[in-house]
Amino acid sequence: MTRFPFGLRTKVIGLSLFLLCLPWLGYQYVWEMEKYLRHGQERTLEGTTQALATALHERPKLFDGQASFLKQVEKSRDLYAYPLAGAILLDGKLNEWQEYQHRFIQYGQANLIMRADPNIPLTLSFTHMVGQYDGYLYAFFQVVDPTLVYRGKNALSVDRNDHLSIATLAPDNQFKRYIVATTQPGWISAFELPANPKQTVPVTPEVRIQGQWAATDVGYNIELRIPLDMVGSKLGFAINDVNDSKYRDISAIVGTSALDTVDKLGTVLVPSPEIESIIKGMSHYSSRVWVVDKHGRVLAKSGDIRANSSVWTRTLEDEASNSLWESFKRNYLHPLYYKILTKPPQDFIDSLQDSTELDGSHIRKALAGQQSSTWRLTPDNKAVVLAAASPIWIDNNVLGAVVAEETTHGIRTLRNRALEKLFNVILTIMSMGTLALFFFASSISNRIRKLRDEAENAIDSQGRVRNHLKPSKARDEIGDLSRSFSSIVGRLGQYTHYLENMSSRLSHELRTPVAVVRSSLEHLNLQTLDKDTQKYVDRAQEGVSRLSMILNNMSEATRLEQSLTQADITKFPLSQVVSGCMQGYQMTYPEQHFSVKVPEQSLMMQGVPEYIAQLMDKLIANALEFCDTGSAIEVTLTQVGKQATLLISNLGPELPSDMSEQIFDSMVSVRINQAQDKPHLGLGLYIARLVAEFHQGQILARNRSDHKGVDILVTLPLS
Amino acid sequence: MKRIAIVEDEVAIRENYKDVLQQHGYSVQTYADRPSAMLAFNTRLPDLAIIDIGLGNEIDGGFTLCQSLRALSNTLPIIFLTARDSDFDTVCGLRLGADDYLSKEVSFPHLTARLAALFRRSELAASQTPKENLLERGPLTIDANRMQVYWDQHPIELTVTEFWMVHALAKHPGHVRSRHELMQEAKIFVDDSTITSHVKRIRKKFMAAAPEFDCIDTVYGMGYRWDSLA
Repeated sequence: MTRFPFGLRTKVIGLSLFLLCLPWLGYQYVWEMEKYLRHGQERTLEGTTQALATALHERPKLFDGQASFLKQVEKSRDLYAYPLAGAILLDGKLNEWQEYQHRFIQYGQANLIMRADPNIPLTLSFTHMVGQYDGYLYAFFQVVDPTLVYRGKNALSVDRNDHLSIATLAPDNQFKRYIVATTQPGWISAFELPANPKQTVPVTPEVRIQGQWAATDVGYNIELRIPLDMVGSKLGFAINDVNDSKYRDISAIVGTSALDTVDKLGTVLVPSPEIESIIKGMSHYSSRVWVVDKHGRVLAKSGDIRANSSVWTRTLEDEASNSLWESFKRNYLHPLYYKILTKPPQDFIDSLQDSTELDGSHIRKALAGQQSSTWRLTPDNKAVVLAAASPIWIDNNVLGAVVAEETTHGIRTLRNRALEKLFNVILTIMSMGTLALFFFASSISNRIRKLRDEAENAIDSQGRVRNHLKPSKARDEIGDLSRSFSSIVGRLGQYTHYLENMSSRLSHELRTPVAVVRSSLEHLNLQTLDKDTQKYVDRAQEGVSRLSMILNNMSEATRLEQSLTQADITKFPLSQVVSGCMQGYQMTYPEQHFSVKVPEQSLMMQGVPEYIAQLMDKLIANALEFCDTGSAIEVTLTQVGKQATLLISNLGPELPSDMSEQIFDSMVSVRINQAQDKPHLGLGLYIARLVAEFHQGQILARNRSDHKGVDILVTLPLS
Repeated sequence: MKRIAIVEDEVAIRENYKDVLQQHGYSVQTYADRPSAMLAFNTRLPDLAIIDIGLGNEIDGGFTLCQSLRALSNTLPIIFLTARDSDFDTVCGLRLGADDYLSKEVSFPHLTARLAALFRRSELAASQTPKENLLERGPLTIDANRMQVYWDQHPIELTVTEFWMVHALAKHPGHVRSRHELMQEAKIFVDDSTITSHVKRIRKKFMAAAPEFDCIDTVYGMGYRWDSLA
């Protein structure tokens, strides 16, 4: 009966799975919140950049570099003096430059400034980079030149050999030109050329330009430094190649820009220490700040994007507590949560680690005069970087932009914290809710099961009302059900009672008319009748006596039930009652063979021996009626534990299927409709059952195992 | 002439009994209900009353009538003649002082035999004729003429039916009397379980006088036997 997998409890637990929507909803909500937070972060960061930009507005001195006024910059022409991490040892070996390799610029055919004979293929090319460190501009040139021509030992001219020429617009707006040439590898000599670009003499040595010249397998290397105060915003380098050591004519010049006039000169950008000092203060509040010029080249930079100095992270101070709940949270819940959530990594690849040039929609927008921000993912997908840019205005021109960058770690940590708390709350609510639902369903299903058991117990397998249902006092639907069950069982009980008493009442009602007929017939009998009349009177009398026998049988069961209620129970020997009865039957039915097996010991039991004898009467009568002619009726009494088993077995027709229970009911008979000499009301076995049940015994009928007849088995408890 | 009163609500039965009793030479008055019967009895008591239990719309009218009659006379023989056959009704009727309790199935010869026996008993009980026709079995003495039974000289009040049953048993001590035989002797025709309850009542009556009484022995499946005290 109990099919648990589909019980109410299981169903309610299933339904409570809908509670799982709660964490999902919470998760969505937190996501939404994060969106707003991001928005807020954007605004904050934009504010930061704006504040910084405000500090830089209308300060043209900071942006007086020539490049600021150029329409565009060219990487090979407009140089960027990258801030170097350390001093460069001027030895011509370029070891210190290796870490900046990605900034090397290759010069060759594209940067040709002059060539003597266009038909001779260009053999000259060089790699170059400038950097700044501690007030000096450092530069190196790795020149590929198959034929090295040094300055003659005694030559007056400095330009009739392989040399490096430098031109700059000095901070005092003087156009200065220098030549670096050497007679042999080693320390270089620099010379300042006359101001007139047409002239190459006279030259004055310039000792502030220092460096080394080193010959290599493919040409030579020059490594040099110039004090920054000698260098203005314009600067150009050019390698002059001389291949013919006899005539010493310059065959080709390759350089960053033409050096003859100021206008043709390229620019150099030396990141401004003043701006840096301004923005440095800001770096305490923001992750990383850049100031770029209008070409996106970095003028100053401060802060580290990995440092957690953002306003969003500072508020999240963790108060470590060692309570049970906290440690449970740490040890069990958090590992679970962080299967779904991601902790913002401290370690991620930053593509802009040391860029000299920045680009991006936000910078382009800022340079166009608009504040803007943008999100980007780091190349390893581990972090999201928010960048905001604000334009710097000088005389209604945008001369640069302030760019601030920050990771979203703060927000992500915030979001994680919020989700943790949410999950905690939801977990508690869900478990409590599920538990409450479970108990509710359990109590309901218990009540229903109790009701079901009561209902099943109220009516036995034969459909009789055994005990009445106690109506529940609960005022809910189950209580209603219980009450209606109770009233149904009550009415059913009344009906069954009515049916069971029907025969008795019927017999009682019929008795009076039968008495009328009988007494009248007796009167007739007393008179002298002629033969014919006598015949009919006899027949009528026979009919009446049969009728009264029927009436007697009908009321027998009711009379027995009544007397059972006031029977005197005594202790008596069951085996003697059975054997005595059997002797009586043998005397009454001498034709019938009985095979009786009764144990020697007396098998004492509590009860009324007369009723047991009555039960025997009924069972033997039943067996006699159904047994095949000439076959024996077996009566076996055995003791099984604390019970006596009486088996009455006869050969004959089998029981119809499904009738083994009903034949013990009132007025049920399985006799075939054959000519009957005795009335049969189906009360015999009913009486047998009444007696057996009165003695707390059981009675059952079954077909014999050899299918040749019927066994009736009575079990009675022994004392 | 003996006067017999029949109180019975069923006309046909009443008339039939009246006829047969008149044929046997009794004077018979019939009443249909309790009030009219009571009215007549208050004027003059009959020599014997035959009463039905259910009278008209009084379910237990017969019992009430029996009680009133017994109040009027202590010796008047009263017989219940009824369709009711439950043990409860029988016990109830006899306890109210009825002398016998008969089912309506009783045949006329049995009924008249019983009436005769009752009349004889009441007549002889009144007269002081010497005791004769005595049957003695140990402490048991049966006066067949007076239809009286004594145990250790104490009279035991038995109904006519019961008397005949005890008589049948004690006549041949040690012999088993089947229920059928007892029925014949007691001139009743009932089923076995009624005999059982009669025997039970007899035992109780004897045990009321002598608690150690154990002379009526049940032989299961066959009947009863009188066991004289050894």
